[in-house]
Amino acid sequence: MSLFDKFEKTAALYYQLSDAGQNPFNVVMEEVLGPTRALIKGRETVLAGTHNYLGQTFEPRAIAAGQEALAREGTGTTGSRFANGTFAGHKKLEAEIADYLGLSHCVVFSTGYVANLGAIAGLVDPSEDVLLIDADCHACIYDGCQLSGAQTIRFRHNDPESLDKRLGRLDPSVKGKLVFIEGMYSMYGDIAPVAEFVEVAHKHGAYLAVDEAHSFGIYGENGRGVSEAEGVMDKIDFYTGTFSKSLASIGGFVASNHKEVEYLRFSSRPYKFTASPSPATIASAAAALENIREHPQLREKLWSNARRLHAAFTQLGLNIPAPPAPVISVLFPTKEEAFAAWNYLLHQGVYVNMAIPPGTPGKESLLRLAVSSAHTAADIDQIVAAYTAMAQTFESARVSASAN
Amino acid sequence: MPDIQEDDDLVFHKICSLLEPLNEKGVKLTRDTDLITDLEIDSVSVLDIVMDIEDNYDLSIPVNTISETRTIGELVDAIHAIKKEQA
Ligand SMILES: Cc1ncc(COP(=O)(O)O)c(C=O)c1O
Repeated sequence: MSLFDKFEKTAALYYQLSDAGQNPFNVVMEEVLGPTRALIKGRETVLAGTHNYLGQTFEPRAIAAGQEALAREGTGTTGSRFANGTFAGHKKLEAEIADYLGLSHCVVFSTGYVANLGAIAGLVDPSEDVLLIDADCHACIYDGCQLSGAQTIRFRHNDPESLDKRLGRLDPSVKGKLVFIEGMYSMYGDIAPVAEFVEVAHKHGAYLAVDEAHSFGIYGENGRGVSEAEGVMDKIDFYTGTFSKSLASIGGFVASNHKEVEYLRFSSRPYKFTASPSPATIASAAAALENIREHPQLREKLWSNARRLHAAFTQLGLNIPAPPAPVISVLFPTKEEAFAAWNYLLHQGVYVNMAIPPGTPGKESLLRLAVSSAHTAADIDQIVAAYTAMAQTFESARVSASAN
Repeated sequence: MPDIQEDDDLVFHKICSLLEPLNEKGVKLTRDTDLITDLEIDSVSVLDIVMDIEDNYDLSIPVNTISETRTIGELVDAIHAIKKEQA
Protein backbone atom coordinates (compact mmCIF):
# COMPACT_ATOMS: atom_id res chain seq x y z
CA MET A 1 0.00 0.00 0.00
CA SER A 2 1.37 3.38 -0.88
CA LEU A 3 0.26 6.90 -0.17
CA PHE A 4 -0.44 7.34 -3.87
CA ASP A 5 -2.55 4.24 -4.67
CA LYS A 6 -5.81 6.06 -4.15
CA PHE A 7 -5.01 8.55 -6.93
CA GLU A 8 -4.59 5.89 -9.59
CA LYS A 9 -8.05 6.10 -11.13
CA THR A 10 -8.29 9.88 -11.15
CA ALA A 11 -4.74 10.17 -12.45
CA ALA A 12 -5.55 7.79 -15.30
CA LEU A 13 -8.53 9.95 -16.25
CA TYR A 14 -6.43 13.09 -16.03
CA TYR A 15 -3.70 11.74 -18.30
CA GLN A 16 -6.25 10.22 -20.65
CA LEU A 17 -7.58 13.75 -21.20
CA SER A 18 -4.10 15.07 -21.92
CA ASP A 19 -3.46 12.27 -24.43
CA ALA A 20 -6.74 12.89 -26.23
CA GLY A 21 -6.04 16.57 -26.73
CA GLN A 22 -5.60 19.65 -24.59
CA ASN A 23 -6.57 18.89 -20.97
CA PRO A 24 -9.23 21.33 -19.68
CA PHE A 25 -7.70 21.12 -16.22
CA ASN A 26 -4.22 22.31 -17.09
CA VAL A 27 -4.73 25.10 -19.59
CA VAL A 28 -2.02 27.75 -19.40
CA MET A 29 -2.66 31.34 -20.39
CA GLU A 30 0.76 31.91 -21.94
CA GLU A 31 0.23 35.59 -22.44
CA VAL A 32 -2.75 37.68 -21.37
CA LEU A 33 -3.70 40.12 -24.12
CA GLY A 34 -6.61 41.88 -22.44
CA PRO A 35 -9.76 41.27 -20.39
CA THR A 36 -11.16 38.79 -22.92
CA ARG A 37 -8.13 37.53 -24.86
CA ALA A 38 -5.07 35.40 -24.14
CA LEU A 39 -2.58 33.20 -25.96
CA ILE A 40 -3.27 29.50 -25.33
CA LYS A 41 -0.95 27.03 -27.10
CA GLY A 42 0.38 29.97 -29.03
CA ARG A 43 -3.04 30.90 -30.42
CA GLU A 44 -5.02 34.04 -29.67
CA THR A 45 -8.14 32.84 -27.89
CA VAL A 46 -11.37 34.48 -26.72
CA LEU A 47 -11.73 33.95 -22.98
CA ALA A 48 -15.27 32.83 -22.22
CA GLY A 49 -14.35 30.64 -19.27
CA THR A 50 -13.10 33.16 -16.71
CA HIS A 51 -15.19 35.01 -14.11
CA ASN A 52 -14.35 38.46 -15.39
CA TYR A 53 -18.06 39.28 -15.44
CA LEU A 54 -17.65 43.04 -15.31
CA GLY A 55 -14.39 43.19 -17.25
CA GLN A 56 -12.43 44.80 -14.42
CA THR A 57 -9.10 42.94 -14.89
CA PHE A 58 -7.63 45.81 -16.92
CA GLU A 59 -9.68 48.68 -15.51
CA PRO A 60 -7.12 51.55 -15.52
CA ARG A 61 -8.14 52.96 -12.15
CA ALA A 62 -7.97 49.52 -10.52
CA ILE A 63 -4.49 49.01 -11.96
CA ALA A 64 -3.38 52.49 -10.87
CA ALA A 65 -4.77 51.97 -7.36
CA GLY A 66 -3.01 48.62 -7.09
CA GLN A 67 0.29 50.05 -8.29
CA GLU A 68 0.04 52.98 -5.93
CA ALA A 69 -0.69 50.73 -2.92
CA LEU A 70 2.14 48.40 -3.91
CA ALA A 71 4.59 51.29 -3.96
CA ARG A 72 3.24 52.89 -0.79
CA GLU A 73 2.51 49.89 1.45
CA GLY A 74 4.70 47.16 0.03
CA THR A 75 4.23 43.77 -1.55
CA GLY A 76 2.51 41.87 1.25
CA THR A 77 1.04 42.23 4.73
CA THR A 78 3.08 39.26 6.04
CA GLY A 79 0.38 38.46 8.57
CA SER A 80 -3.22 37.48 9.29
CA ARG A 81 -6.17 39.78 9.77
CA PHE A 82 -6.20 38.85 13.47
CA ALA A 83 -2.54 39.53 14.19
CA ASN A 84 -0.38 41.84 12.12
CA GLY A 85 -2.18 41.84 8.75
CA THR A 86 -4.92 44.46 9.12
CA PHE A 87 -4.13 47.71 7.30
CA ALA A 88 -6.24 50.83 6.88
CA GLY A 89 -7.10 49.56 3.39
CA HIS A 90 -8.81 46.44 4.75
CA LYS A 91 -10.97 48.50 7.12
CA LYS A 92 -11.84 51.00 4.42
CA LEU A 93 -12.85 48.27 2.00
CA GLU A 94 -15.02 46.64 4.68
CA ALA A 95 -16.83 49.94 5.15
CA GLU A 96 -17.26 50.40 1.40
CA ILE A 97 -18.71 46.93 0.86
CA ALA A 98 -21.10 47.36 3.78
CA ASP A 99 -22.17 50.71 2.32
CA TYR A 100 -22.66 49.27 -1.16
CA LEU A 101 -24.75 46.38 0.15
CA GLY A 102 -26.68 48.53 2.62
CA LEU A 103 -25.62 46.23 5.46
CA SER A 104 -24.11 47.46 8.70
CA HIS A 105 -21.09 45.14 9.07
CA CYS A 106 -18.50 43.51 6.87
CA VAL A 107 -15.49 41.30 7.57
CA VAL A 108 -12.84 40.81 4.88
CA PHE A 109 -11.09 37.45 4.47
CA SER A 110 -8.22 36.28 2.25
CA THR A 111 -10.38 34.62 -0.44
CA GLY A 112 -14.04 33.79 -1.01
CA TYR A 113 -13.28 30.18 -0.19
CA VAL A 114 -11.77 31.21 3.13
CA ALA A 115 -14.68 33.60 3.84
CA ASN A 116 -17.18 30.74 3.60
CA LEU A 117 -15.02 28.43 5.69
CA GLY A 118 -14.61 31.25 8.19
CA ALA A 119 -18.29 32.15 8.33
CA ILE A 120 -19.50 28.58 8.79
CA ALA A 121 -16.84 27.26 11.15
CA GLY A 122 -16.76 30.57 13.01
CA LEU A 123 -20.51 30.83 13.61
CA VAL A 124 -21.49 27.24 14.30
CA ASP A 125 -20.82 25.23 17.45
CA PRO A 126 -20.79 21.49 16.66
CA SER A 127 -22.16 20.60 20.09
CA GLU A 128 -25.43 22.50 19.77
CA ASP A 129 -25.96 23.94 16.26
CA VAL A 130 -26.99 22.40 12.93
CA LEU A 131 -26.20 23.36 9.34
CA LEU A 132 -28.62 22.95 6.44
CA ILE A 133 -27.22 23.42 2.96
CA ASP A 134 -28.54 23.38 -0.58
CA ALA A 135 -27.43 20.13 -2.24
CA ASP A 136 -25.73 22.07 -5.06
CA CYS A 137 -23.68 24.37 -2.84
CA HIS A 138 -20.07 25.04 -3.80
CA ALA A 139 -17.26 22.87 -2.44
CA CYS A 140 -16.16 25.59 -0.02
CA ILE A 141 -19.53 25.48 1.75
CA TYR A 142 -19.24 21.70 2.12
CA ASP A 143 -15.68 22.16 3.36
CA GLY A 144 -16.80 24.81 5.83
CA CYS A 145 -19.39 22.39 7.22
CA GLN A 146 -16.73 19.75 7.60
CA LEU A 147 -14.36 22.17 9.28
CA SER A 148 -17.11 23.20 11.71
CA GLY A 149 -17.72 19.57 12.70
CA ALA A 150 -21.42 20.34 13.10
CA GLN A 151 -24.27 18.13 11.96
CA THR A 152 -24.93 18.98 8.30
CA ILE A 153 -28.16 18.23 6.48
CA ARG A 154 -28.60 18.69 2.73
CA PHE A 155 -31.88 19.76 1.17
CA ARG A 156 -32.95 19.52 -2.46
CA HIS A 157 -31.54 22.17 -4.75
CA ASN A 158 -33.60 25.38 -4.89
CA ASP A 159 -36.44 23.65 -3.03
CA PRO A 160 -37.72 25.64 -0.01
CA GLU A 161 -40.24 22.92 0.79
CA SER A 162 -37.46 20.37 1.11
CA LEU A 163 -35.75 22.75 3.57
CA ASP A 164 -39.04 23.27 5.41
CA LYS A 165 -39.39 19.51 5.98
CA ARG A 166 -35.83 19.16 7.24
CA LEU A 167 -36.11 22.13 9.60
CA GLY A 168 -39.40 20.74 10.86
CA ARG A 169 -37.79 17.40 11.75
CA LEU A 170 -35.02 18.89 13.90
CA ASP A 171 -34.95 18.04 17.55
CA PRO A 172 -36.14 20.97 19.71
CA SER A 173 -32.85 20.75 21.63
CA VAL A 174 -30.95 22.11 18.61
CA LYS A 175 -29.90 25.67 19.42
CA GLY A 176 -28.64 27.52 16.35
CA LYS A 177 -29.73 26.64 12.82
CA LEU A 178 -27.80 28.05 9.90
CA VAL A 179 -29.08 27.61 6.34
CA PHE A 180 -26.65 28.14 3.46
CA ILE A 181 -27.65 28.80 -0.16
CA GLU A 182 -26.11 30.64 -3.12
CA GLY A 183 -27.48 33.51 -5.19
CA MET A 184 -26.59 32.34 -8.68
CA TYR A 185 -25.29 28.79 -8.98
CA SER A 186 -22.25 28.67 -11.20
CA MET A 187 -22.80 25.35 -12.95
CA TYR A 188 -26.17 25.99 -14.62
CA GLY A 189 -26.45 29.74 -14.04
CA ASP A 190 -29.76 29.23 -12.21
CA ILE A 191 -30.79 31.48 -9.34
CA ALA A 192 -32.20 30.75 -5.90
CA PRO A 193 -35.71 31.70 -4.76
CA VAL A 194 -34.09 33.66 -1.91
CA ALA A 195 -37.32 35.30 -0.69
CA GLU A 196 -38.99 31.93 -0.19
CA PHE A 197 -35.93 30.61 1.59
CA VAL A 198 -35.92 33.62 3.94
CA GLU A 199 -39.51 32.92 4.83
CA VAL A 200 -39.00 29.22 5.49
CA ALA A 201 -35.78 29.74 7.46
CA HIS A 202 -37.21 32.46 9.67
CA LYS A 203 -40.43 30.54 10.26
CA HIS A 204 -38.29 27.89 11.96
CA GLY A 205 -36.06 30.36 13.78
CA ALA A 206 -33.11 29.58 11.49
CA TYR A 207 -30.57 32.05 10.06
CA LEU A 208 -30.10 32.34 6.31
CA ALA A 209 -26.70 32.88 4.66
CA VAL A 210 -26.44 33.57 0.92
CA ASP A 211 -23.20 33.17 -1.00
CA GLU A 212 -23.41 35.76 -3.78
CA ALA A 213 -19.95 34.95 -5.23
CA HIS A 214 -21.28 34.91 -8.80
CA SER A 215 -24.03 37.49 -8.44
CA PHE A 216 -22.33 40.36 -6.57
CA GLY A 217 -22.29 43.41 -8.83
CA ILE A 218 -24.60 41.73 -11.33
CA TYR A 219 -28.14 41.05 -10.08
CA GLY A 220 -30.63 43.50 -8.61
CA GLU A 221 -31.33 47.16 -9.23
CA ASN A 222 -28.00 48.23 -7.73
CA GLY A 223 -26.09 45.06 -8.49
CA ARG A 224 -26.16 43.93 -4.88
CA GLY A 225 -27.04 40.39 -5.88
CA VAL A 226 -29.89 37.95 -6.20
CA SER A 227 -30.99 38.85 -2.66
CA GLU A 228 -31.59 42.41 -3.89
CA ALA A 229 -33.36 41.19 -7.04
CA GLU A 230 -35.60 39.13 -4.74
CA GLY A 231 -36.28 42.16 -2.54
CA VAL A 232 -34.85 40.66 0.66
CA MET A 233 -31.47 42.37 1.18
CA ASP A 234 -32.65 43.51 4.61
CA LYS A 235 -34.02 40.10 5.56
CA ILE A 236 -31.16 37.70 4.85
CA ASP A 237 -28.88 37.16 7.85
CA PHE A 238 -25.47 36.75 6.23
CA TYR A 239 -24.14 37.69 2.81
CA THR A 240 -20.85 36.17 1.60
CA GLY A 241 -18.90 37.16 -1.48
CA THR A 242 -15.60 37.25 -3.28
CA PHE A 243 -13.35 39.85 -4.92
CA SER A 244 -12.13 37.27 -7.43
CA LYS A 245 -14.99 37.52 -9.91
CA SER A 246 -16.80 40.80 -10.65
CA LEU A 247 -14.09 42.80 -8.85
CA ALA A 248 -11.24 40.92 -10.57
CA SER A 249 -8.93 40.85 -7.55
CA ILE A 250 -8.47 38.36 -4.70
CA GLY A 251 -10.22 38.26 -1.34
CA GLY A 252 -13.61 37.54 0.17
CA PHE A 253 -16.03 38.85 2.75
CA VAL A 254 -18.97 38.19 5.05
CA ALA A 255 -21.48 41.02 5.53
CA SER A 256 -24.47 41.25 7.84
CA ASN A 257 -26.84 43.46 9.77
CA HIS A 258 -26.13 41.33 12.83
CA LYS A 259 -23.44 43.20 14.72
CA GLU A 260 -22.34 39.83 16.13
CA VAL A 261 -20.72 39.04 12.77
CA GLU A 262 -17.79 40.99 14.26
CA TYR A 263 -17.26 37.99 16.57
CA LEU A 264 -15.75 36.21 13.56
CA ARG A 265 -12.67 38.33 14.14
CA PHE A 266 -11.85 36.20 17.15
CA SER A 267 -13.97 33.06 16.66
CA SER A 268 -13.02 32.19 13.10
CA ARG A 269 -9.82 30.23 12.51
CA PRO A 270 -9.80 30.95 8.75
CA TYR A 271 -9.72 34.66 9.70
CA LYS A 272 -7.02 34.24 12.30
CA PHE A 273 -4.57 31.83 10.76
CA THR A 274 -3.91 32.87 7.18
CA ALA A 275 -2.32 35.97 5.69
CA SER A 276 -4.59 38.87 4.74
CA PRO A 277 -4.94 40.07 1.13
CA SER A 278 -1.99 42.20 0.01
CA PRO A 279 -2.24 46.02 -0.18
CA ALA A 280 -2.35 45.92 -3.99
CA THR A 281 -5.17 43.37 -4.16
CA ILE A 282 -7.20 45.32 -1.60
CA ALA A 283 -6.64 48.62 -3.39
CA SER A 284 -7.60 47.22 -6.79
CA ALA A 285 -10.71 45.54 -5.36
CA ALA A 286 -11.73 48.85 -3.77
CA ALA A 287 -11.15 50.75 -7.03
CA ALA A 288 -13.09 48.15 -9.03
CA LEU A 289 -15.97 48.45 -6.55
CA GLU A 290 -16.03 52.23 -6.95
CA ASN A 291 -15.91 51.79 -10.68
CA ILE A 292 -18.79 49.33 -10.94
CA ARG A 293 -20.90 51.49 -8.59
CA GLU A 294 -20.35 54.50 -10.82
CA HIS A 295 -20.94 52.59 -14.04
CA PRO A 296 -24.15 50.55 -13.96
CA GLN A 297 -23.76 50.36 -17.74
CA LEU A 298 -21.14 47.63 -17.15
CA ARG A 299 -23.87 45.48 -15.67
CA GLU A 300 -26.23 46.38 -18.50
CA LYS A 301 -23.59 45.43 -21.06
CA LEU A 302 -23.02 42.10 -19.33
CA TRP A 303 -26.72 41.38 -19.46
CA SER A 304 -27.10 42.36 -23.10
CA ASN A 305 -24.13 40.12 -24.01
CA ALA A 306 -25.64 37.29 -21.96
CA ARG A 307 -29.04 37.66 -23.61
CA ARG A 308 -27.51 37.75 -27.06
CA LEU A 309 -25.47 34.58 -26.50
CA HIS A 310 -28.37 32.79 -24.82
CA ALA A 311 -30.68 33.61 -27.74
CA ALA A 312 -28.09 32.46 -30.29
CA PHE A 313 -27.48 29.17 -28.46
CA THR A 314 -31.20 28.57 -28.04
CA GLN A 315 -31.68 29.07 -31.75
CA LEU A 316 -28.96 26.49 -32.38
CA GLY A 317 -31.05 24.03 -30.37
CA LEU A 318 -28.35 23.59 -27.73
CA ASN A 319 -29.33 21.94 -24.46
CA ILE A 320 -29.23 24.89 -22.02
CA PRO A 321 -30.52 24.28 -18.48
CA ALA A 322 -31.39 27.85 -17.37
CA PRO A 323 -32.70 31.23 -18.56
CA PRO A 324 -30.20 33.95 -19.62
CA ALA A 325 -27.54 34.52 -16.93
CA PRO A 326 -23.87 35.48 -16.78
CA VAL A 327 -23.16 31.75 -16.92
CA ILE A 328 -24.56 29.83 -19.88
CA SER A 329 -24.03 26.08 -19.86
CA VAL A 330 -24.57 23.48 -22.54
CA LEU A 331 -25.27 19.93 -21.36
CA PHE A 332 -23.79 16.78 -22.89
CA PRO A 333 -24.85 13.20 -22.17
CA THR A 334 -21.28 11.91 -21.65
CA LYS A 335 -17.99 13.34 -20.49
CA GLU A 336 -16.29 12.04 -23.64
CA GLU A 337 -18.59 14.15 -25.82
CA ALA A 338 -18.21 17.19 -23.57
CA PHE A 339 -14.45 16.80 -23.69
CA ALA A 340 -14.39 16.49 -27.49
CA ALA A 341 -16.64 19.55 -27.82
CA TRP A 342 -14.48 21.50 -25.38
CA ASN A 343 -11.39 20.75 -27.47
CA TYR A 344 -13.30 21.61 -30.61
CA LEU A 345 -14.21 25.06 -29.24
CA LEU A 346 -10.63 25.66 -28.16
CA HIS A 347 -9.47 24.89 -31.71
CA GLN A 348 -12.01 27.46 -32.88
CA GLY A 349 -10.27 29.96 -30.60
CA VAL A 350 -12.85 29.98 -27.78
CA TYR A 351 -11.96 28.98 -24.23
CA VAL A 352 -14.80 27.82 -21.95
CA ASN A 353 -14.89 25.55 -18.87
CA MET A 354 -15.68 21.88 -18.83
CA ALA A 355 -17.35 20.31 -15.80
CA ILE A 356 -18.01 16.61 -15.27
CA PRO A 357 -19.74 14.61 -12.53
CA PRO A 358 -19.55 14.57 -9.55
CA GLY A 359 -18.85 18.31 -9.92
CA THR A 360 -22.09 18.88 -11.84
CA PRO A 361 -25.65 18.95 -10.48
CA GLY A 362 -27.03 16.05 -12.51
CA LYS A 363 -25.40 13.08 -14.15
CA GLU A 364 -24.48 15.08 -17.24
CA SER A 365 -21.28 16.82 -18.24
CA LEU A 366 -21.33 20.41 -19.35
CA LEU A 367 -19.48 23.22 -21.06
CA ARG A 368 -19.83 26.38 -19.10
CA LEU A 369 -19.47 29.80 -20.67
CA ALA A 370 -18.98 32.87 -18.48
CA VAL A 371 -20.02 36.12 -20.11
CA SER A 372 -18.13 39.39 -19.62
CA SER A 373 -19.22 42.98 -20.09
CA ALA A 374 -15.83 43.37 -21.77
CA HIS A 375 -16.70 40.90 -24.54
CA THR A 376 -16.69 42.99 -27.70
CA ALA A 377 -19.02 42.52 -30.65
CA ALA A 378 -16.13 40.71 -32.37
CA ASP A 379 -15.67 38.40 -29.33
CA ILE A 380 -19.37 37.59 -29.30
CA ASP A 381 -19.38 36.92 -33.06
CA GLN A 382 -16.45 34.56 -32.68
CA ILE A 383 -18.13 32.72 -29.81
CA VAL A 384 -21.39 32.35 -31.76
CA ALA A 385 -19.53 31.14 -34.87
CA ALA A 386 -17.61 28.56 -32.82
CA TYR A 387 -20.76 27.30 -31.08
CA THR A 388 -22.60 27.14 -34.41
CA ALA A 389 -19.89 24.90 -35.86
CA MET A 390 -19.82 22.90 -32.61
CA ALA A 391 -23.60 22.37 -32.68
CA GLN A 392 -23.33 20.98 -36.20
CA THR A 393 -20.50 18.64 -35.28
CA PHE A 394 -21.90 17.43 -31.93
CA GLU A 395 -25.49 16.40 -32.35
CA SER A 396 -25.70 15.28 -28.72
CA ALA A 397 -25.38 18.90 -27.58
CA ARG A 398 -28.76 19.73 -29.09
CA VAL A 399 -32.11 19.13 -27.41
CA SER A 400 -33.74 18.89 -30.76
CA ALA A 401 -31.14 16.33 -31.87
CA SER A 402 -33.48 13.36 -31.71
CA ALA A 403 -36.29 15.22 -33.44
CA ASN A 404 -34.09 16.12 -36.42
CA MET B 1 -37.47 -9.35 17.11
CA PRO B 2 -39.19 -10.72 13.97
CA ASP B 3 -40.67 -7.24 13.52
CA ILE B 4 -37.30 -5.59 13.47
CA GLN B 5 -35.97 -8.23 11.11
CA GLU B 6 -38.86 -7.58 8.76
CA ASP B 7 -38.34 -3.83 8.89
CA ASP B 8 -34.62 -4.31 8.46
CA ASP B 9 -35.29 -6.14 5.24
CA LEU B 10 -37.59 -3.40 4.01
CA VAL B 11 -34.96 -0.71 4.50
CA PHE B 12 -32.35 -2.95 2.92
CA HIS B 13 -34.58 -3.62 -0.08
CA LYS B 14 -35.46 0.03 -0.44
CA ILE B 15 -31.79 0.99 -0.54
CA CYS B 16 -31.03 -1.78 -3.02
CA SER B 17 -33.81 -0.64 -5.32
CA LEU B 18 -32.39 2.91 -5.26
CA LEU B 19 -28.86 1.63 -5.90
CA GLU B 20 -29.75 -0.79 -8.68
CA PRO B 21 -29.87 1.84 -11.49
CA LEU B 22 -26.32 2.88 -10.53
CA ASN B 23 -25.06 -0.70 -10.28
CA GLU B 24 -23.42 -0.66 -13.68
CA LYS B 25 -21.25 -3.71 -13.13
CA GLY B 26 -24.17 -5.84 -11.95
CA VAL B 27 -22.60 -6.53 -8.53
CA LYS B 28 -24.75 -8.67 -6.22
CA LEU B 29 -25.98 -6.34 -3.50
CA THR B 30 -25.49 -7.58 0.07
CA ARG B 31 -25.09 -5.89 3.44
CA ASP B 32 -21.33 -6.07 2.91
CA THR B 33 -21.30 -4.33 -0.48
CA ASP B 34 -19.08 -1.25 -0.28
CA LEU B 35 -20.75 1.69 -1.99
CA ILE B 36 -17.59 3.35 -3.22
CA THR B 37 -15.16 0.50 -3.88
CA ASP B 38 -17.58 -2.26 -5.00
CA LEU B 39 -20.22 -0.18 -6.76
CA GLU B 40 -17.90 2.67 -7.76
CA ILE B 41 -20.59 5.21 -6.98
CA ASP B 42 -19.23 8.73 -6.47
CA SER B 43 -19.73 10.46 -3.13
CA VAL B 44 -22.30 12.92 -4.48
CA SER B 45 -24.46 10.13 -5.91
CA VAL B 46 -24.42 8.47 -2.51
CA LEU B 47 -25.65 11.74 -0.98
CA ASP B 48 -28.39 11.96 -3.61
CA ILE B 49 -29.58 8.43 -2.88
CA VAL B 50 -29.66 9.28 0.81
CA MET B 51 -31.89 12.25 -0.02
CA ASP B 52 -34.39 9.84 -1.61
CA ILE B 53 -34.22 7.65 1.49
CA GLU B 54 -34.80 10.70 3.70
CA ASP B 55 -37.92 11.66 1.81
CA ASN B 56 -39.12 8.09 1.70
CA TYR B 57 -38.85 7.59 5.47
CA ASP B 58 -39.43 11.21 6.48
CA LEU B 59 -36.20 11.51 8.44
CA SER B 60 -32.95 13.46 8.15
CA ILE B 61 -29.62 11.72 7.74
CA PRO B 62 -26.71 14.10 8.34
CA VAL B 63 -23.88 14.24 5.78
CA ASN B 64 -21.53 13.46 8.68
CA THR B 65 -23.25 10.09 9.23
CA ILE B 66 -23.05 9.21 5.56
CA SER B 67 -19.33 9.90 5.38
CA GLU B 68 -18.89 7.37 8.19
CA THR B 69 -20.77 4.59 6.38
CA ARG B 70 -19.09 2.48 3.72
CA THR B 71 -21.33 -0.54 3.20
CA ILE B 72 -25.01 -1.00 2.51
CA GLY B 73 -25.35 -2.70 5.90
CA GLU B 74 -23.85 0.27 7.71
CA LEU B 75 -26.25 2.59 5.90
CA VAL B 76 -29.21 0.35 6.85
CA ASP B 77 -28.09 0.37 10.48
CA ALA B 78 -27.62 4.15 10.48
CA ILE B 79 -31.17 4.62 9.17
CA HIS B 80 -32.55 2.36 11.89
CA ALA B 81 -30.67 4.28 14.55
CA ILE B 82 -32.03 7.58 13.26
CA LYS B 83 -35.56 6.20 12.91
CA LYS B 84 -35.47 5.18 16.54
CA GLU B 85 -34.09 8.55 17.62
CA GLN B 86 -36.56 10.61 15.61
CA ALA B 87 -39.56 8.40 16.42
C1 LIG C 1 -20.16 29.84 -5.02
C2 LIG C 1 -18.73 30.15 -4.77
N1 LIG C 1 -18.35 30.55 -3.55
C3 LIG C 1 -17.07 30.85 -3.30
C4 LIG C 1 -16.09 30.75 -4.25
C5 LIG C 1 -14.65 30.99 -3.86
O1 LIG C 1 -14.22 32.24 -4.22
P1 LIG C 1 -12.66 32.58 -4.25
O2 LIG C 1 -12.20 32.32 -5.65
O3 LIG C 1 -12.57 34.00 -3.87
O4 LIG C 1 -11.97 31.70 -3.27
C6 LIG C 1 -16.46 30.37 -5.54
C7 LIG C 1 -15.48 30.35 -6.63
O5 LIG C 1 -14.72 29.50 -6.88
C8 LIG C 1 -17.79 30.03 -5.80
O6 LIG C 1 -18.16 29.60 -7.01
